[in-house]
Amino acid sequence: MPNPHPATPWATRRHALELSVPVALGYVPLGAVFGFVFVQAGADWWMPVLASLLVYAGAAQFMMVPLLASGASLGTLAVAALAINFRHVFYGLTLLQRQPKSRMARAYQSFSLTDETYAIVSTLPPTTSPHQLLAVGALNHLWWNLGTALGVTAGITLHINVAGLDFALTALFTVLLVEQLRRHRRYNMLLLGAAVYAAARWLWPAHALLAGMSLTLLIAMVWSHATHKAQP
Amino acid sequence: MNPTNLHAWYVLTAIALVAGITWALRALPFLAARWLRDQPVLARATNYVPTAILVTLLVHAMANTDNTSQALPLLHESLSVAAVALLQAWLHQPLLSMGAGTVLYVLLRAA
Repeated sequence: MPNPHPATPWATRRHALELSVPVALGYVPLGAVFGFVFVQAGADWWMPVLASLLVYAGAAQFMMVPLLASGASLGTLAVAALAINFRHVFYGLTLLQRQPKSRMARAYQSFSLTDETYAIVSTLPPTTSPHQLLAVGALNHLWWNLGTALGVTAGITLHINVAGLDFALTALFTVLLVEQLRRHRRYNMLLLGAAVYAAARWLWPAHALLAGMSLTLLIAMVWSHATHKAQP
Repeated sequence: MNPTNLHAWYVLTAIALVAGITWALRALPFLAARWLRDQPVLARATNYVPTAILVTLLVHAMANTDNTSQALPLLHESLSVAAVALLQAWLHQPLLSMGAGTVLYVLLRAA
């Protein structure tokens, strides 16, 4: 039913809620896995909670668990975060014309721009109010933290000690990789990442991850540039 | 429990660092839209870089387990990762792929 009047706050909220339900179905269980695995790795309850509140990026948060548990350097964490969340640089470009007025609201809008929020927001008509875009981002943030809280509670309550449960993180990297390959089909990057890591592990066993990741990042950037020049 | 590494200040600093980097990346287009549009090299890199880095993280995770009870190195890890990849490519259900792969890995190690 067409509504000639400006959306009331309630209507705005309800529509945003409907939009964010599919995200909730993914964020609550995945947030719970994150909270659970981090606590099982030895974290205090507030560590996963703070990470989900402030970082709010699934793959980057999952990446932090094994790195922190093994005492990785802050440099390693920084390179990993930069590389994994690199794609987010372009999400904001589609939203430039749809920013809320207040400075705080604008800051939060950019903060809450995850893959899933971007996916929803980019499909909405250009006339959508900035408040509704903001509400979708905030609801998704809420689902993610709700899931994390559930996972932390489960992790503290149940003292499961099964060897190999932390494979969930390896499995998550696998899932993300399969999705990346389906979307972009850069199969040569598989070989690059694996070969550079193997070389780094052989040359600098103590810094294999940082060295492997930095070199891979550099080569992948040059490669993408060169490939494009060869076939314009 | 991990008795050594997850100290409060270390984790706090790491969370602040990763949060800062993530937010900076997300906020960049709002601050420097025109500059970004003029950098096609960055746009193309997003097709390559995450794939390469995810491989690095995956191989690192596979190579750094406490699993010493297998005939061949990386046997359990390779089988379980292959199972996750096949399930994900076939059904596209992340939680199912992760759950089934983890159960398989736990069973392989217990066997």
